[in-house]
Amino acid sequence: MATEVTSHAKTPRQASAWINRASPYMFIAPAVVIMFMALIYPLGYMIWGSFRDWDPSQTIGEAEFIGLKNYVTLWNDPNFLESLSVTLRFAFLCVSAEMVIGVGLALLLDRNIRGMSVLRTMFILPMMIAPVVVGLMWRYMYHPTVGTFNRFLEDIGLPKVDWLGQNALTSVIIADIWQWTPFIFILALAALQSLPRSALEAAKIDGATAWQQIWHIKIPLMMPVLIVTALLRLIDAFKVLEVILVLTEGGPGLSTEILALRISRTATEFRELGEAAAMSNYLLMILMLLTVSMFAFNKLQEIRAARVRMIAEEDA
Amino acid sequence: MDQPYEKQNPAVYAIIAMLVLMSVGPVILMLANSFKFDVDIISGASSFFFMPTIQNYETALCDVLWYEPDHLDFCGLKFGGAFTNSLIIALVSTILTLVIGSMAAYALVRFRFFGRDTVSITTLMVRMVPPAVLLVPVFGLWNNEFCIDKNSLVGGLIRDTFGGRGDVCLAGTHSGIILVYVAMNLPFVIWILQSFIVQVPRSLEEAARVDGAGPFQVFFKVILPLIKPGLAAAAIFTFRIAWNEYLLASALSDRNTKTVPILIVNNMSEFNVEWGVIMATGMLLAIPPIIFTLLASRQIITGMTAGAVKG
Amino acid sequence: MLKSLKAAALGTVLMATTALANPYAEYEGTTLIVNFPAHPHYDAVMQILPEFTKQTGIEVEVDQLPYLKMRERQTLELAQDEGEYDLIAYVVFSKADYVYADQLENLAKYVMNPKLANPSYDADDLIDGYVYNIGFAGGNKGYLEGKTGSLFGVPYGSETSVLGFRKDIFEKHGLEVPQTYEDMLEIACKIPELEPGMGGLASRAASGHHASHAFLLHLAPLGGKIFDDNWNPVMNSAEGVAAAEALKTIVDCGPEGASTFGFGEALGSFLNGDTAMFLDTTVVAGQIDNPKKSQVVGKVGWAMHPMGVRRGSQTGGFGIGIPANAENKDAAFLLMQWLTSKEGDKLVALAGGNPSRFSTHADAEVNAKFPHMATFGEALQHADPDWRPIIPVWGKINADLGTTLSKVLTEDLDIQEALDGVAERTKTIMEDAGYYTWQ
Repeated sequence: MATEVTSHAKTPRQASAWINRASPYMFIAPAVVIMFMALIYPLGYMIWGSFRDWDPSQTIGEAEFIGLKNYVTLWNDPNFLESLSVTLRFAFLCVSAEMVIGVGLALLLDRNIRGMSVLRTMFILPMMIAPVVVGLMWRYMYHPTVGTFNRFLEDIGLPKVDWLGQNALTSVIIADIWQWTPFIFILALAALQSLPRSALEAAKIDGATAWQQIWHIKIPLMMPVLIVTALLRLIDAFKVLEVILVLTEGGPGLSTEILALRISRTATEFRELGEAAAMSNYLLMILMLLTVSMFAFNKLQEIRAARVRMIAEEDA
Repeated sequence: MDQPYEKQNPAVYAIIAMLVLMSVGPVILMLANSFKFDVDIISGASSFFFMPTIQNYETALCDVLWYEPDHLDFCGLKFGGAFTNSLIIALVSTILTLVIGSMAAYALVRFRFFGRDTVSITTLMVRMVPPAVLLVPVFGLWNNEFCIDKNSLVGGLIRDTFGGRGDVCLAGTHSGIILVYVAMNLPFVIWILQSFIVQVPRSLEEAARVDGAGPFQVFFKVILPLIKPGLAAAAIFTFRIAWNEYLLASALSDRNTKTVPILIVNNMSEFNVEWGVIMATGMLLAIPPIIFTLLASRQIITGMTAGAVKG
Repeated sequence: MLKSLKAAALGTVLMATTALANPYAEYEGTTLIVNFPAHPHYDAVMQILPEFTKQTGIEVEVDQLPYLKMRERQTLELAQDEGEYDLIAYVVFSKADYVYADQLENLAKYVMNPKLANPSYDADDLIDGYVYNIGFAGGNKGYLEGKTGSLFGVPYGSETSVLGFRKDIFEKHGLEVPQTYEDMLEIACKIPELEPGMGGLASRAASGHHASHAFLLHLAPLGGKIFDDNWNPVMNSAEGVAAAEALKTIVDCGPEGASTFGFGEALGSFLNGDTAMFLDTTVVAGQIDNPKKSQVVGKVGWAMHPMGVRRGSQTGGFGIGIPANAENKDAAFLLMQWLTSKEGDKLVALAGGNPSRFSTHADAEVNAKFPHMATFGEALQHADPDWRPIIPVWGKINADLGTTLSKVLTEDLDIQEALDGVAERTKTIMEDAGYYTWQ
């Protein structure tokens, strides 16, 4: 009897202790379950599927195991290789152009002036609008006869440009620049405004010109942020799909068929799920390489910073 | 902003004006075209002086209008339904992501499962996975593996209540799409919220605990209210992705769960490029993000800098 | 009990009004879920469906999708044990996939069922070439007419290619309507000189399906083929090169931006008066006469697809069939029968669709409303059912062909070299698919 009473008395406290001990796991469990179900497991499933000759009407168990054949086929497929090169060109060209324009504008407009907040607000707009809609706006503007650009060129007496035909990749890149330069601009501006004032003041007192300030002080100090920004943008550039799908559907030829689009076409149009999975894996490997290099760079920076600090302390 | 504005070279103002025009111009062009007849769009009548018509919006919204527009032979575009689907999917996935994400972020900050480095590496690793990569596995799993046999108890119950045929699968349901979106957005949300939770002083939590609050009460009553700005930023980014995403939704939805981006891409179909109607649907899809931009640009910028710079 | 009483009562009412038995009574109140493409013919079908519901009491819910999307959706839906769709419209080239995977019902058992088959259906009135091309499987080469074949679907929305031309422009410059390919290409390149700013002939040319379709359109009349009788790819023959050259000439002399035109853009430029000719499917006639979409109402004349070495216009369009995993197969058959009956065919023709029966093309009322119908009817009889192969691996070959041709058009790839490449890759695909097993 007595034991029962004590156990009764104990239960709430035990329970609360149990809750306290278990609560970290309870807090994190839903996220882990969902990430596992909808991300980790699917990725494993994809790797498994990439070794199979898999048709959309089959379940994965019915598909025949063919080892590395899908990967080998892809390496020998000129269309895949071209698509790979289009993807790389698209991503690097976009990001370099956006970095130059975005950082340039940030340096130019890093002043305390009226209208900046309006610009910042309006500048976010392109990023927030659905890529599908961005694609359709630009498809209209690029239209050979109806479109805004060719009408304008015609009005001022210049020859028309075959935007989405001969110059498809450039046109697609321009649309991406329109959409994503603001991202870099805003981050670069934030970085600029958090630079230590003292360094800049000192430079000014030393009589450094505006150019010297930019090249020797602002850009080096912003560098860590800029590199992270560029890599984030690069990763995102590999995800672009909808804008290109709506603008060109990958054409003409394969000139704008980025990997993401080719994966989706291989899966739905050519009905080769296995090959699409192998392609996804190649893409994932490229991105992995990028991410790892970004971390390596970050670590390197930290180590260098620590060393600088140590030297400074020793001097003191 | 207390300092007075500096006087600047007029060229700077010109540049700013031009940039604003460049970023807003295409949107305004779309807005103008959505009020034009196709004939006017194609024939190149002036961009801004034309007889506006709401016919394109009537065509787009014909399934929710209370009257039947005269110019339509039948209502082909089920925009109203798609809009509802988009709303359900975007709202539910945003709320779920925020709740689950903030809980996880809290646990990671306060209980230190792993070092912060591990967390940030994992977050970034996951963040880099493009939706296209998920297409094949998600398509296969949602259609074949994540199913309940219709002859089982639960499966039978669902079929009896909701109708439909075949085994009960995640594909073609709102939940199926929501699950992917939550998973896609979680890493980013956890990452952003972590940086906000770190700033909440521990003493506040301990005070609440002394008053007898359990861990969940502490979390919901003390922590959440304090990280509202972070939640707002995270909410906008999650909503934006769930609202705008096309590829996975198109692979996972069926005729009753189509979202607006799918409808727009479908409507670019080759037989009729009906610019007016497409622009109208595009405009309707763009309205919520435009409102967010105008009302909450500060939060968006906070989220962007927190998500990127500290990444 | 009550239900059957009700049905009986309704039956009597109907009997009283129509003085006929009602074969639909048993299915009254059923809702059929059908999958149709977003396509002008099926837009016309949407307008006549209420009439079907009124006559039969069977409700129809339509899921309309762009046709390439429709195919993706069907691939998935038909593979399930129990599918959602009761009736589907399929693109001609899907026939091979679906029948091969045992996903379409053989129609014999419905035609044999006296309760379902309408004795006044008159199947002989359906245009032969289309029945074989779209509905038939298992005949010669597996996809053509032949003694071993049987019926899996009925053509609905039969299209062929015709030449549309601007009567006013042709008259102004004293041009003759081209009868041969030589004439057509000559005129196509003359137009931009005669009418500055105007293109000769609007054709699809965009990467993928569009470019491949345009190529095939010229291949058959110029005497070429994709495969010889032993499944060897021969698209790189002299005729194939001629067809690609014709396409290149047309695009070069075409309107601004022609190399990226999909079907919609090509049609759009003709509707907008930017081109003098249009060589493609008959499906566009309705839009050309629609003042809301077209600036050339009343200015367009129609002629047969010009001859190369022979007549050979395309056979295209859609068929409707019943999925093997459908829920309401009998009612679906009734809908299919009603739509393709003389009455349904005429109704849809009057609503702007593409009829599939001889009698509809000859019908006075239809001809009065659409004067071009007689030309179209004649063109249909010259349609070549073998202008493109309908085999399961065609999708892949088609994509490769279309991408390569697009490169020819935009990147000046050598035509012979490009087609040799396609032929070589096609050979591998065919080899893998087992077409050379018996050689």
